[in-house]
Amino acid sequence: MFFHITLERNMQLHPRHFGPHLRDKLVAKLMKDVEGTCSGRHGFVVAITGVEDIGKGLIREGTGFVTFPVKYQAVVFRPFKGEILEAVVTMVNKMGFFAEAGPVQIFVSNHLIPDDMEFQSGDMPNYTTSDGSVKIQKDSEVRLKIIGTRVDATEIFCIGTIKDDFLGVINDPGVTA
Amino acid sequence: MSLGAESSLQSSSSSEDFAAFLDSELELASCDSSPNEGDVTNNEEIDPPQRSKRQKMEGFETSEDLETERLVKPIEEHIGTSTLGKNVICPPHPGFFKGLCIRCGQIEEDESGVAFGYIHKDLRLGNVEMARLRGADLKSLLHKKKLILILDLDHTLLNSTRLVDVISDEEYLLRQIDGMKDDPDRSLFRLDSMHMLTKLRPFVNNFLKEASSLFEMYIYTMAERSYAIEIAKLLDPGKVYFDSKVITQADCTQRHQKGLDVVLGAESLVVILDDTEVVWQRHKDNLIQMERYHFFASSCRQFGFNAKSLSELMKDERESDGALATVLKILKRTHQMFFDPALGSDVSTRDVRPLLKGIRREILQGCKIVFSRVFPSNSLAQDQPIWKMAEQLGATCCTEVDPSVTHVISTDTGTQKAHWATQNKKFLVNPHWIEASNFLWQRQKEENFSISNLPSHTTVDCTAKAQESVQ
Repeated sequence: MFFHITLERNMQLHPRHFGPHLRDKLVAKLMKDVEGTCSGRHGFVVAITGVEDIGKGLIREGTGFVTFPVKYQAVVFRPFKGEILEAVVTMVNKMGFFAEAGPVQIFVSNHLIPDDMEFQSGDMPNYTTSDGSVKIQKDSEVRLKIIGTRVDATEIFCIGTIKDDFLGVINDPGVTA
Repeated sequence: MSLGAESSLQSSSSSEDFAAFLDSELELASCDSSPNEGDVTNNEEIDPPQRSKRQKMEGFETSEDLETERLVKPIEEHIGTSTLGKNVICPPHPGFFKGLCIRCGQIEEDESGVAFGYIHKDLRLGNVEMARLRGADLKSLLHKKKLILILDLDHTLLNSTRLVDVISDEEYLLRQIDGMKDDPDRSLFRLDSMHMLTKLRPFVNNFLKEASSLFEMYIYTMAERSYAIEIAKLLDPGKVYFDSKVITQADCTQRHQKGLDVVLGAESLVVILDDTEVVWQRHKDNLIQMERYHFFASSCRQFGFNAKSLSELMKDERESDGALATVLKILKRTHQMFFDPALGSDVSTRDVRPLLKGIRREILQGCKIVFSRVFPSNSLAQDQPIWKMAEQLGATCCTEVDPSVTHVISTDTGTQKAHWATQNKKFLVNPHWIEASNFLWQRQKEENFSISNLPSHTTVDCTAKAQESVQ
């Protein structure tokens, strides 16, 4: 789920950046450092929307670096256990399929794929129902439910299921009506 | 509402009992697909305490009431909880994706199980899960009438050399590459990102196309992953043959040994094509050893051959009867024998290993061999590799001559046994006859392997030599 929250961070700035554009340099450094990172608490920081407040800088002892406490607003993405998400399938193999929902990688193992869907290998490996009506292959969109998440420094991993009601393929790529 | 109405009917049951009854019914409904038909005979399947409750209840309720109760329960059951919660029996966790169990989603910092880094870098599977996947794979492959083929890369399907190792006589190849850009049949490639030059073995594209209709193919190489992926792109640009089936050195569970434990396929269906036997100690019965493809000079030097390489001689294996073409015939034959309808309709118990053994035994069947000056006489003859190879090919080996002997293998015409052979009109050949028969899957003409033909340095390519002598 996406959130728009206020976060705070202490930014260290090298004295060479001091000058008339100090604030801009600080904001640029903030964006470079924070956008694209993950934390366990907030999830994945997608984009910084604005800087709310930059506090007074404190010069560190010994080095000339100055620490500024910066309050900023950002859009973050964090998957929750039990959440329903739409994702795009990236790889299908006999163990299940991998899907991506933005920066999140989700694995749905075949334990959690409905029993009537069977794996078909070939040049386009897929999971198909016995009557061929529903097909999951690369680039299909699926609606899945998250049953476990794990966050590390740069990526978020989830386990998902499509075994419940209303889950499964939304859109079939290249479907011939 | 209907529940409320019912509780008034059950005058002799307290509300506690009713709640307990509901609980037991809910549990039953989840593990038993047909909870109650109001049928006493069904009770055999239920635990005694629940049965007694049901019997007590049935005394007071009509089957109609049971019907309505059953209607209410499924709705209660499904709201808010997934079927997952009821049926999951985890632990034992079947496998892990970055520490998360793939069935229940719990984080377990468990490093057990086998890592399947070639499918996804953070995937690990437990033994039970692997056995289950192998069983499912076995069924689906037998249904599609396919076996499994594991291919080695270097010296089997191609030969690579580093650009720095290219000698002056080979530089014409570099000039040729520029002209080859759009040629669909090109076999020489320059991998700039790896600073290497690669030559695909003749016939490899046809080989892969034909083999893919009979086998599910994997690449298993002791090279690094980056190199293996580059080569897979050359051999399989459409990602049809080897998509997520490229196993490299990093995936091996034992150092310097390849194993079928990282292959999600049943061992009884696996045929391996590799130029080295040493790395397949645990699976020798599945292995078809291929002759090494030495195209580049650096490859010959690496193996200690001083002969000129194919690139220096500006020659190459012939497509029509080269090593890959020969092996393809054997693979087709094995496949045909495995799926032979004359053997009955149950394919699941068949095994490809005895078939390979059988095919090999036909090559030198009927030959009785004595060795002379091939290995030291004080060593144990039966342990010699050439003895074992001859026996694998179906020949009988013995240490002493007798009238039933058909061949004498020797490196020298002057030995006692060699004289005996010429006197008694027996075949007198050099040891390469056995090796050539092994690689070419055919008993070779003894005339081509006479002892005077034995070159002072070992031949590099049996196939090329055999093709020469055929001419």
